[in-house]
Amino acid sequence: MLTFIIRRMLWTVLVMFVITVLVFIIFFKTPGVDPARALAGRSPNPQTLAEIRAQLGLGRPFPIEYGIMMKKIFISRDLVSYSNQGVRVVQEVFAATPATLSLVFGATVLWVVLAIAVGIAAALLRGTVFDPLIMVVALIGVSAPVFWVGQIVNMLSQSALHDTFLFSWVPPLGYTPFLQSPELWFKGLVLPWITLSILYIGFYGRVLRANLLEVQNEDYVRTARAKGISERRVWLRHTLRTSMITFVSLFGLDFAVLVAGGALLTEVVFGIHGVGYLTWQALQNLDLPTIMATTIYGAFFIVLINALVDVAYAWLDPRIRPT
Amino acid sequence: MATLLEQVEVDTELGGGGGGPPPPGAGPPARGGGPPPACNPWALAARRLWRNRIAMAALLLFLVIVVMCLAAPLYADHVAHVNPFVPNLNGHTVVNGKVVPVMQRGGGILKLGETPIGPTWDPSHYFLGADSTGRDVAALLLYAGQSSLLIGIGSAVLCSLAATVIALIAGFFGGVTDSVASRIMDVIWAFPVILLAICIGTELLTHSNGFQFGPLHVDASSLWLPTLIIGFIYIPYVYRPVRGQVLSVVNKEFVEAATAQGAGNTRLIFSEILPNVVSTVIVLLPLIVATTILTESALSFLGVGVQPPNVSWGTLINDGTDLVYTRPWVTIAPGLMILLTVLSLNVLGDGVRDALDPRAKLRVEG
Amino acid sequence: MKLPNVETIAARRGARPLRMMSLGAAVAALAVTAAACGGSSGSSTTTPQTTGHKGGTFTILANSAFGVADPAQNYTLEEWQLLIDTHDGLVSFQKAGGAAGNKIVPDLATSVPVPTNGGKTYLFHIRKGIKFSNGQTLKPSDFVTTFERQFTVPGPTSFYSSIVGANKCSTKGCSLSKGVIANDSAYTLTINLTAPDPELMDQLALPFAMAVPASTSPKLTGNNVPPGTGPYMWKSYNPNTQAVLVRNPYFHVWNSAAQPAGYPNEIIEKYGLLVSDEVTQVLNGQANEVFDGDSIPSDQLSTLNSPKYSGQVHVNTLTADYYFALNTRRPPFNNPLARQAINYAANRTAYVKIYGGPSLAVPTCQILPPNYPSYTAYCPYTSGSNHTKWTGPDLTKAKQLVQQSHTAGMKVVVDSTNDQVGKAFAEQMVSDLNAIGYKASPQLLAASIQYPFVQNSSNSGKWNVGYSAWYQDYPAASDFLNVLLGCGTIHPNSDASPNIAAFCDKAIQSKIDQAETMGATNPSGAAALWTQVDHADTNAAPWVDMFNPKQIDVLSHNVHGYSWSPQWYILIDRLWLS
Repeated sequence: MLTFIIRRMLWTVLVMFVITVLVFIIFFKTPGVDPARALAGRSPNPQTLAEIRAQLGLGRPFPIEYGIMMKKIFISRDLVSYSNQGVRVVQEVFAATPATLSLVFGATVLWVVLAIAVGIAAALLRGTVFDPLIMVVALIGVSAPVFWVGQIVNMLSQSALHDTFLFSWVPPLGYTPFLQSPELWFKGLVLPWITLSILYIGFYGRVLRANLLEVQNEDYVRTARAKGISERRVWLRHTLRTSMITFVSLFGLDFAVLVAGGALLTEVVFGIHGVGYLTWQALQNLDLPTIMATTIYGAFFIVLINALVDVAYAWLDPRIRPT
Repeated sequence: MATLLEQVEVDTELGGGGGGPPPPGAGPPARGGGPPPACNPWALAARRLWRNRIAMAALLLFLVIVVMCLAAPLYADHVAHVNPFVPNLNGHTVVNGKVVPVMQRGGGILKLGETPIGPTWDPSHYFLGADSTGRDVAALLLYAGQSSLLIGIGSAVLCSLAATVIALIAGFFGGVTDSVASRIMDVIWAFPVILLAICIGTELLTHSNGFQFGPLHVDASSLWLPTLIIGFIYIPYVYRPVRGQVLSVVNKEFVEAATAQGAGNTRLIFSEILPNVVSTVIVLLPLIVATTILTESALSFLGVGVQPPNVSWGTLINDGTDLVYTRPWVTIAPGLMILLTVLSLNVLGDGVRDALDPRAKLRVEG
Repeated sequence: MKLPNVETIAARRGARPLRMMSLGAAVAALAVTAAACGGSSGSSTTTPQTTGHKGGTFTILANSAFGVADPAQNYTLEEWQLLIDTHDGLVSFQKAGGAAGNKIVPDLATSVPVPTNGGKTYLFHIRKGIKFSNGQTLKPSDFVTTFERQFTVPGPTSFYSSIVGANKCSTKGCSLSKGVIANDSAYTLTINLTAPDPELMDQLALPFAMAVPASTSPKLTGNNVPPGTGPYMWKSYNPNTQAVLVRNPYFHVWNSAAQPAGYPNEIIEKYGLLVSDEVTQVLNGQANEVFDGDSIPSDQLSTLNSPKYSGQVHVNTLTADYYFALNTRRPPFNNPLARQAINYAANRTAYVKIYGGPSLAVPTCQILPPNYPSYTAYCPYTSGSNHTKWTGPDLTKAKQLVQQSHTAGMKVVVDSTNDQVGKAFAEQMVSDLNAIGYKASPQLLAASIQYPFVQNSSNSGKWNVGYSAWYQDYPAASDFLNVLLGCGTIHPNSDASPNIAAFCDKAIQSKIDQAETMGATNPSGAAALWTQVDHADTNAAPWVDMFNPKQIDVLSHNVHGYSWSPQWYILIDRLWLS
């Protein structure tokens, strides 16, 4: 286990290095991008542009510029955004993290619980009309783009039905830190949680259902039944556990992406200023420092969570050793 | 050597091991009144699928959608008589016998805004209404379907192919190969795709004559671009479960048996392992198509997906977000099409999974 | 002034691109008639000066923040609307609605001086007893720092480049010891220019020239705004959440025309919502104002038409152009006949509809906007014989011209932004070009890329028609005619070359130069010349000018005292809450 952890740490560093290099190269290869112009303010004269370019040391070889940026991110932590030179990106990303984590963890809990319930129900009720019915309802959530669902939800909860008992409790859009007001924190996140989780419940419900049904017919399940173990125990201890492999591996990927800022459209639509929202703004303004910082943050989580998933694999199926 | 049939039976996830496969040639138990069982397990699976009414209904729905989208030029030219790719802001149409402008000025004192007409439910005159530049939504919807389906299915297929190949190699050889492959997948999954899409998109757009990749000429607005980008980013998504599957199969006795019989690596991979893994991929495929269609819509929403003059369901949703309160059909229609397509593919996918698993207890029988 | 580099969610969502504020400067020399200024088609621009009461927190919702807050660099309407409440200049625009808002009044100076020395020297007497928000007393030497910072902090420098010594200033260092002379004992400030500049007063009223303490760093202060002398002070600014302004405890009124005491106790500006959600919140009463630079999407426009909100929605005309620049460097638009052809064919009604209809945009053919100095209505590119107003396209004439120019069948690339409105503009232009025999195709780029892209001559081979917009910096005809179409503003291989069309006509340029020099000595003669330049430029057709836009203000029901200044637009601290 220890060697596994150490090896994974090393790989993490390598992965992050590769990603940051790629991001760096891609950014500077994009036509029309000129950091000097971004930093020079609006309508500078060409002389100012030239001075800034010299000050920034642009035009030096890539490796040197890359090295300087990495130093500013990790060591001195004073990397400054291109679109707003008063902002330090590392601090900005840290400040935005609680919002993203609040959104993602809440939605995850909701979606996992409901997906398992939906998947088991559909598998148990297979052959009846409920199986396809449950699946269809779950699928509707999967099929609608999250930004569209979010806007409909906003339209209903903030505008059209705002004054009815259904939605009068909904606060204005935006994120309230937990320490500032737990009540507002919760109320402001309920609808985003539901919106974000709808997308995944159907998907994971199906995956689980498919796996459950396959596993049903495995020999060891038949053996367990023959031994007289109760149906419920058969399901929970013997069937569910091994059916979770696909579920867990996909879950790891999706959860990692969300934590990394992948819920950006949800954050944007609901006015939650998390890492996804920052990424979104940075991409529109082609603000390389922020893009770099959010990418590193994201890459770190993705690699970390993948490692955890691999450990989970080993627990779920002892025949698989983590690599 | 175990037949293909037994391999399909024995495998799927993990679990199994234990009891041996039925004797070769036994085939599945006969069903009442049917023709004698065929020996080819794929044909059997196909017959099972055919008897699954719900799955067939889904297949039909999907085919109807495909045909409707392919018939877009027919609809636009002969039924609606519009060119949906050209703005029609000053145009007029006929509603209930009266000639009305396609774009209508706001009311009240301020008279702000121009609102396109809503659905007329008349197939020859703006059936679903107009969008914000006066174009016929129904006609656009069908043309858009062509792009969305092409990109969705194309990217899912490419993605699955690539992921399966890599997973087979990584899972089979294990060790360093596996580690490296998994880490490459990490890099892909962690990579900011939108940035990649923006950069590639911008690079292409500013070469107004397109790009030359050796002998290939890619136009700036080509649909290959979103297809390749989306196909690429989902490789890790298919790779992981398939690799898990490969790992479990690699340890099974029949593989060992085949090795003992002198099978080389290639034969092991393609004849022993791949068939057991295929059903996982087939089950995942409709789910991936659903995901790629949605991703395409997200990228188009961000402006880095399908480029004009092409349209896709994603660009239509994007175009309609400005009209969500007043003309919801402009976004509901493409959303609905995505939903129906994804739904039909998933139900079909279920049917395929059922058909491939002969030991499933409560299988729908024809 | 151009659109900002920030592309907002609103822009994505298909509304208009985020506009930058254009600062109108008062035209001291030319009187703009009351009928012309800020005339709106909707609710009132000026309410009678009923005295409001102080108190309350005024909340503004803006889609995105305004970038870095240092007033020496920031060139956004969003921050300027707040800076005029926290800082003061030597002179300022009167804080009033309507035509009165164009007038230059003394602020930190006791009076507006008349220049001496052939128009090159201005002597200001600085008021005594005024304190910054940190308690320091204002002295004339504070202004030296203010002006020098204009050059040491990267940003627009052209405004004050006529000050003696400015040409030696750069981000490496600046000494204006000969150009801005402060006498702290006599409390005077002398500004020396290299040449007379009739636009100086307007420029001195911009936030760039508003006083900051002499101890302020010559480098960019980032998101910390240096102390100012206005009725409010900056408590905090976080571009991801909000900005908060509170009362300046050291403020007292010295000239209520220039800087009255504000009504709200606190002003908060919150960032990050989608514009349609901003409108919803303001109409719900959860906030007080939608930032007027945010473009309102069309479904919310329908909501605003409702009589329920009639007192809360105000529409005002802007002096701005939305246009397509024609790339005169290469075929087909190096040929003036081809340029005129597309001008005849352009369907301006359609462009107006894209922007929101006749209530929000007025078609135009010429360069200068209405209500602007030297503007005389002129539109040759219309059907019919009335050449003062555009009534419709003339396709026959257009096709004729295409034939005459021998450019039929050529490929034309239309470059625009990839938000809803930019995309629709491009598609309509493609359609207009195809109708007269070209083979046009659209090319959509992110707004932050598109603007520098079309300016840079190295990209000239990749586009033929480029979308852009321009808002006045101050009402001087040169701000459109020289900055956007003068030979001197073509900077090859630079991302900052505002003459996008690369239009340079020697005859017209000599008229421009003449008008510039005439401006100080013979304003009315210069004005007439500028009108000629405008018409000559229109005839040469370097652009397809589409329309002049209008702007909407959305306020909550409990906001009173609305007035619209043609310079600062909505005057925030003049509003009071019930």
